[in-house]
Amino acid sequence: MAGANTHGDGVDTPVLEVAGYSLRYATPSGPIHALKNIDLRVAHGQTHGLVGESGSGKSSLAWAILRYLPENAIENDGRLLLSGESLRDRTLSQILEIRGRRISMVFQDPSTSLNPAMRLGEQLSEVLIRHRGLTSQEALEESEAALARTGIAKPKDMLRRYPHEASGGEKQRVVIATAFACNPELIVFDEPTTALDTITAQQILELFNQLQDETSISALYISHDLGLVSRVADVVSVISSGEIVESGTCAEVFQTPRDDYTKALLGAVPNPKQWLGVTEPPPEAPALMSAKGVTVEYGRQSLVGQLLAPKPTHLGAQDVSIEVRKGELVGLVGESGSGKSTMGKVLSGLQDFDGSVRFGDRNFARLSEIDRTYRRAVQIVFQHPDASLNPRQRVREILSRPLKLYDIVPPKERAERIANLLEQVRLPREFADRLPHQLSGGEKQRVAIARAFAAEPELVICDEITASLDVSVQASVAELLMNLQRQTGTACLFITHDLNLVRQLAHRICVMQHGRLMDTFHRDDAERPDRNPYTRALLKAVPPPASQAA
Amino acid sequence: MTLGYLVRRLLAVILVLFVVTFAVFAITMILPGNAAVMILGEYGTDEAVAALESRLGLNRPWYIQYLDWIGGILQGDLGQSLRLSLPVADVVGDAFWNSASLAVTALVSVTVIAIPLGVLAAIKRGTVADLVIGMFSYIGASMPEFVTATLLLIFLAGPALGLFPAGGFVSLGESVGGFSSHVVLPAATLGLILTAHISRQVRSEMSEVLSSDYIRAARLKGLRERRVIRRHALPNSLAPAVAVISLDIGYLLGGIIVVEEIFAWPGLGRLLIYALENRDLPVIQAITLVLATVYALSNLLSDIVIAILDPRVRYA
Repeated sequence: MAGANTHGDGVDTPVLEVAGYSLRYATPSGPIHALKNIDLRVAHGQTHGLVGESGSGKSSLAWAILRYLPENAIENDGRLLLSGESLRDRTLSQILEIRGRRISMVFQDPSTSLNPAMRLGEQLSEVLIRHRGLTSQEALEESEAALARTGIAKPKDMLRRYPHEASGGEKQRVVIATAFACNPELIVFDEPTTALDTITAQQILELFNQLQDETSISALYISHDLGLVSRVADVVSVISSGEIVESGTCAEVFQTPRDDYTKALLGAVPNPKQWLGVTEPPPEAPALMSAKGVTVEYGRQSLVGQLLAPKPTHLGAQDVSIEVRKGELVGLVGESGSGKSTMGKVLSGLQDFDGSVRFGDRNFARLSEIDRTYRRAVQIVFQHPDASLNPRQRVREILSRPLKLYDIVPPKERAERIANLLEQVRLPREFADRLPHQLSGGEKQRVAIARAFAAEPELVICDEITASLDVSVQASVAELLMNLQRQTGTACLFITHDLNLVRQLAHRICVMQHGRLMDTFHRDDAERPDRNPYTRALLKAVPPPASQAA
Repeated sequence: MTLGYLVRRLLAVILVLFVVTFAVFAITMILPGNAAVMILGEYGTDEAVAALESRLGLNRPWYIQYLDWIGGILQGDLGQSLRLSLPVADVVGDAFWNSASLAVTALVSVTVIAIPLGVLAAIKRGTVADLVIGMFSYIGASMPEFVTATLLLIFLAGPALGLFPAGGFVSLGESVGGFSSHVVLPAATLGLILTAHISRQVRSEMSEVLSSDYIRAARLKGLRERRVIRRHALPNSLAPAVAVISLDIGYLLGGIIVVEEIFAWPGLGRLLIYALENRDLPVIQAITLVLATVYALSNLLSDIVIAILDPRVRYA
């Protein structure tokens, strides 16, 4: 699929040429160098992948090309050429003629990049009215055709809807149709699938490749996801700390990477064939936690509430049964809204439920029965360490809370225990004096993990703990978790949307969809042809990274 | 807008008004002495009080009295004023229209001035215009009505300029010019704080909207700034402002009592003070009920406007 359509013969003027371009931001604490001496060319009909982690400067490059820079941006005299014409000496009104008509953009999250108070039709047709001078009637007809090309079944109906009346995938199709509407020379894709569900993301990717074949558009495709870029791009540039460290065709970069950073990045991409997990407990090992027929109903209302504003309740989880054995790691996989986090909340004692949860030799039938002993034995680590660590407490206080609460060690030994915990998560013991904002994202997540293990739990629930981290950091956090599990023998319920990652860690995997448990299987059986169809669809949507598959 | 949404909001308003009538009626039960004692004054003999009680029906159980009172209200009969010997409906009705003309003038001018000011401050964020509007807002918001009123009277109605009459009232029916010159100072007094409040609200909403992803997306589509502001940003920042305006109506209803007294405006506020001083219970009840109804209905209206501005609300 990748590289299927390369029209440019290399002699033509490239659609986009960036040469010797540097950019820094003036801040009160000195300049921040966002881009350093960037050289990048997008040939006609080519898709150029720009891969980098957060803070690498990849978005700054997009803003520079679209001439959408903040006031504190300072540029050098490098070149930014669109089909040979300099973008840098254009006036604002000339730039406004170029944006949307000659360069357009597809954004990361369609739920925030579409105006919630405007119908989708108006948001699509306004670019046609602005740049092609159509009347609103003509523009709407044209919009309908544009939307039909993106695979929307009832485009006319979709045009009349507001963003909140469309699914994430439908909204992103509208955004893509808008970007393609004026047949621009270049489209900048900024992580267009990151905010979408696995299967939706796969469909959007297929749509991209299909439109690429039909229109032979030139594209700059920005992403942090190497595996994904390998499936759409002809040429790849890897950017790190504002510098392009490696550039070449997809095959070159992925199969014979030269730069160390690229190699590290490729190595960090989860590969389901690379087992990282701990030794599986024997089949006769007793169940540590077993949830039976757990149902959660959201939106229950009081009598008066029902009278005034009746809202349908909805089932966050419906008759879900999950078992975790001592020392086992069970993966819980599903898309957003599948109910996997609801189950995480139920099992960590944060959400009321019907059904039963058996832990050890005790039974719990509702939230109010969950007691201190249970809460100590079952700890949870959340997705966003920024939100789950108190910004005003030092790491020392954060880690001493569970030690005090559950009286894990005598007060005199607490300082020593905190130092040990930090070492266990491979952070220097001096970090005890730091505040959360003085730590990086990965370091914060390590503190959150240390806090969970401080209570000496028997079961740790990890709710998307790697989802907000960069690939390389994600790999080290996963590895750290495996080490802790090996040392402590703690069981783990690992909730994630990343199938490739969970297949490296979990002994058994549960799949949820629309609040129901669809499938539970042992990792060896993942690719058996008689797997549940939904599991098969999920697996198909996330093929292993190109280099490793080759 | 869905009909169901409207019906649900209307039901909620009716429920609120029902609770209000109950509270207002309870005042008669809580106050020391009943209407009979009030009418006859401290010299009424026990026999005379008892006779009047039975004539007014005050010796019946409270729920019968309540139902009787509610029944009257539903038929437009608010009872008889104890001091003015006139039907309450007539007294309160006249005062209501006088107050309404003042309140509506104040509210309309506030809305027309405050929203553009807020938008301007947000667009020109960090410039002199923003600073001036911000300072005006702080000063406006921190001055109570009696200070504003005094300053306005000294400067604009004082002997030096004498632009406007210092007080009094001419109804719209009598003379439009007369009404206008009399309404300026009380409306300005009422409006100053609200203008400050609403323009600040609009500024902060607008600033937030302007930094949102969808505004960036609109700009990167190459749309002209005018369309970005008017079509993309404004509707999204107005919905919260409308909610604030409807809350401010509650403030306005309180402020009007002070302002009417200062400017001798014969509205509900002055009537309420008169009724309180003279313990004219039926009038107090009627005015309280009217003010509560106005507040509830203006909230309903703002909910409808918000639903028009923000399509997500309609289905909530």
